[in-house]
Amino acid sequence: MLSRKGIFSSKYSLYWLMAPLFIYLAVFYLYPLIYSVYMGFFEWNMGDPTMTFVGLSNYVAAFRDSQFTGSFINTATFVVAAVGIELTLGLALALLLNRETWPMRLLRTVVLLPTLLTPLVVALTWKALLNPDFGALTYYIRAVGLDIGRGVFVERSLAMAGIVLIDVWQWTSLITIILLAGLKGMPIEPYEAAYVDGASRWQAFRFITIPLLRPTILIALVVRSLDALKIFDSVFAITGGGPGTATTTTNFHIFKVGIQHLRVGYASALSNIFLAVSVGIGLLIIRNVFLSSRRKGGAV
Amino acid sequence: MTSGSYARHHRMLKIGSGVSRGVVIALLVVFLLTPLVWLVTTSFKQRVDVFAMPPKWVFTPTMTNFQYVFDKKPIVRFTTNSLVISFGTTILSLLLGVPAAYTLARRRFRGKNLLITSILLIRALPPVVILLPFRLLMNSIGLMGTHAAVILIDTIYNAAFTVWLMVGYFEAMPIEIEEAACVDGCSYFKTFRTIALPLAKPGLVTAALFSLILSWNDFLFALSLTSPSSATLPLGILSTYGMLSVGWTYMTSMCTIAIVPLLLIALFLQKYYVQGLTFGGVK
Repeated sequence: MLSRKGIFSSKYSLYWLMAPLFIYLAVFYLYPLIYSVYMGFFEWNMGDPTMTFVGLSNYVAAFRDSQFTGSFINTATFVVAAVGIELTLGLALALLLNRETWPMRLLRTVVLLPTLLTPLVVALTWKALLNPDFGALTYYIRAVGLDIGRGVFVERSLAMAGIVLIDVWQWTSLITIILLAGLKGMPIEPYEAAYVDGASRWQAFRFITIPLLRPTILIALVVRSLDALKIFDSVFAITGGGPGTATTTTNFHIFKVGIQHLRVGYASALSNIFLAVSVGIGLLIIRNVFLSSRRKGGAV
Repeated sequence: MTSGSYARHHRMLKIGSGVSRGVVIALLVVFLLTPLVWLVTTSFKQRVDVFAMPPKWVFTPTMTNFQYVFDKKPIVRFTTNSLVISFGTTILSLLLGVPAAYTLARRRFRGKNLLITSILLIRALPPVVILLPFRLLMNSIGLMGTHAAVILIDTIYNAAFTVWLMVGYFEAMPIEIEEAACVDGCSYFKTFRTIALPLAKPGLVTAALFSLILSWNDFLFALSLTSPSSATLPLGILSTYGMLSVGWTYMTSMCTIAIVPLLLIALFLQKYYVQGLTFGGVK
């Protein structure tokens, strides 16, 4: 399609427009990641001038570090609980809002509000609402007779549920919005045929809506899971990983070791393990969900 | 789809009816709006009303909290820092991401899928993993504690998002217009700049909007890379939470200031926001 010779000819123009991005990524993304791999082999604390090569012993220590392995369990618990609830509620909500009347349009604006808000603002708001002594919500929860002990974020058994609740409040809507877009593009004929054949509403949902919506559900699930893995703000601002280590997620644990305790070498080893796990999950997902949806002709 | 079949379509998929639907929707609105209403109302409360039990929802509003926040607290500096970082990130992300996306969308070459995969993978990258070595890098080139440090790390995620969004956008645009321009002897770069870019404006708005929101809402990177002189709004807000003596009044008024631009987006730019949320998921 191009015949001109010189620097903008098809051969070179390829590199011209992509070069800035890839140079940038090489310097600020790839180089730090490689440096992190390197640092994982050293015993090094920031501020301390000596860097001692320790081979794989940081990694050996990592797998024996119950706080680290525990943080993986906490992260998994959080992701499964939060995303599971969000998907269930998000789907119900999408079916509820799937109408083109003005109250529904207004309601959709209300619904998408939480997803826009600064996560730290959301965290502090809920922290205040659930404050054991002065929280408005704590007052109502106790008023209806629910036992929350000394407070949601004080009780070991409730703290993680509290963090999940906040995530559900903020991100259920994201799934709803994605699913609503999916519902909008669904054909009507299968429903007509099903109702003519005397199918119940539940059967139509189970055997038409769910299968047709499956690719959209999958994308919503993936987008939300990858973001849920990054959970940090609410843990940092509300519980500080506690009580004990009840809400210490992997992100937060590595942050604590590397940025607060400045054990850079060890934290790098933890990072590298976490990176390997995340990239593994990410690759699996991208190959199976994103790229396949591109191949099927999904333009966007 | 015609509006007639659209209406029928929706009748087919609805769940619940009448009263039960109304109750569910009412509960939903209460659940979603209570925290927001509490936040905004508390920022207009006097200290004595904040800790009232049972909670007070009707009270005499006061502007003193906002007055204090503007007079005594460096809210202007926090806000300026947040704006500098958000707009800096957005400009850089678009400058880097959009031209690359154009080439990835329009040209065929070896290794293209690998490039797209590696850019997508950035979405799966835990922020803390890049943060540690990035901090050392900033230290060694003297950018630690500056706006630039946060802009440079935010841009990793936002440029990646821009690429993904814009590749889809450019691919969906008919190629014929660009080809017609090239018949007249237009260079590749000129075609991109004068033909493709203006056509892609709605996509660019979405990309910019997401970049602004993401960096405005960022906390972890700002927490780890800024100094007091470059601290952003979320950091300023966090520093006022612990002041129980003033009962969350300053915290909530700063939060209210922080979310005003986001509420405006929900009201006026909703179309672009929803487009960004649903891209990739649905055609």
